[in-house]
Amino acid sequence: MTTTPHQSLDNLIPLTVNRVVEDSNTDTRIVVLTRPDETETFMIWVGAPEGDSIRRAMDSALPPRPMSHDLIKNFGEHFGIKTQRVILADVKSSTYYATVYLENNGVERMIDARPSDAIALALRTHAPIYTTPDVWKRRSGQHLDAWLTKLDTKNIGAQEV
Amino acid sequence: MFDPYNNAYIVVLRDEDQAEMLPIWVGKSEASAISLALEHVAPPRPMTHDFMKSFLDAYNAKVISTVITDLNEHTYFAKVHLMYEDSEYAIDSRPSDAIALAIRSDAPIFASDSVIRKQSSEELEQWLGNLKPEDFGKLDS
Repeated sequence: MTTTPHQSLDNLIPLTVNRVVEDSNTDTRIVVLTRPDETETFMIWVGAPEGDSIRRAMDSALPPRPMSHDLIKNFGEHFGIKTQRVILADVKSSTYYATVYLENNGVERMIDARPSDAIALALRTHAPIYTTPDVWKRRSGQHLDAWLTKLDTKNIGAQEV
Repeated sequence: MFDPYNNAYIVVLRDEDQAEMLPIWVGKSEASAISLALEHVAPPRPMTHDFMKSFLDAYNAKVISTVITDLNEHTYFAKVHLMYEDSEYAIDSRPSDAIALAIRSDAPIFASDSVIRKQSSEELEQWLGNLKPEDFGKLDS
C-alpha cells in the first residue's frame, strides 16, 4: 500500500465486463472484458470462486449470506471507504496485476490486487475498470473466436495466479 | 479437514482448555483461505482475504475479534468486530470469511454459548471415530 501519486486518467482505456465463460477443462473461469468503442476483447483467466463471484455481481444476485466480496463492500460502506476505480495496470509472464484506488475523506490509497478480486469489488461498488494502453497491447484474447474454436483441444496456459 | 461424505471441508475450532469443539462446514475455497493463513503461506499474489486485509489496513481499520453467533442447518452466522476511528463496528459475515480474516489479523475467534450448546459434540466424536487416517490429508489431496 502506498499513497497515490498523481495519475492522469486521460490515457487509460475503460473496460466493461462482457461475460464470464466457464472453462470446463480446468477449474477456471475466463472473464471477458471489452472496450466500449470496439469489439475487441480482453480475457483474464481467474479461479472458479472468483469468477463465480464476478458473475454473481453481473447478475446482481443477492446471496442469502454475504460472500467474501460482499463483505469487503460492506466494510467500505460502514467506514465510508469508496472504491474509486480499478486499473489493470500490468502484465508479467501472463499474470495480470490490478491496482484498486480507494478514497476516504479526501485521502486516497491504492492497493495491489489480483484482477479477479479487483473486478469483483468494482462491479459491486459501481467503480469503473480501466487498463493502460501498454497492457491492452500485450493482452491475450486478440483472436477470441479462433481461440474459442480451439478450446477443446488446446491446453490452457496463461492462468492468473 | 476433508469430509469425504459431504464433499466439503470442516474447520474445527477448539476452546483454550480443549474441552469444547466446534466444527464448521465450509466450501473448498473457504477452507483453502483458512488453511493458507494457518500455515503462514505467503502466496505470490494476494488472495481474496489478503486483499480484504489490505483494504482494511489502508485506513487503519482493525479487526478486534470475530464471533460465531449462530449455526443453523445450512446457514452459519458470524460477526466481525472492528475498530475504526474510535468507533466499534460489528459486521455480519459468514464464519469462513470471519475466521480467514481473524487469523490474518491475529484476532481472537469466539463462539457464543448458544452455538456451543446447540452443537451436539457427541455426534461429531462419533463421526470423527469413523474417519480413516488418509482422510487427514492436505487440502488438495
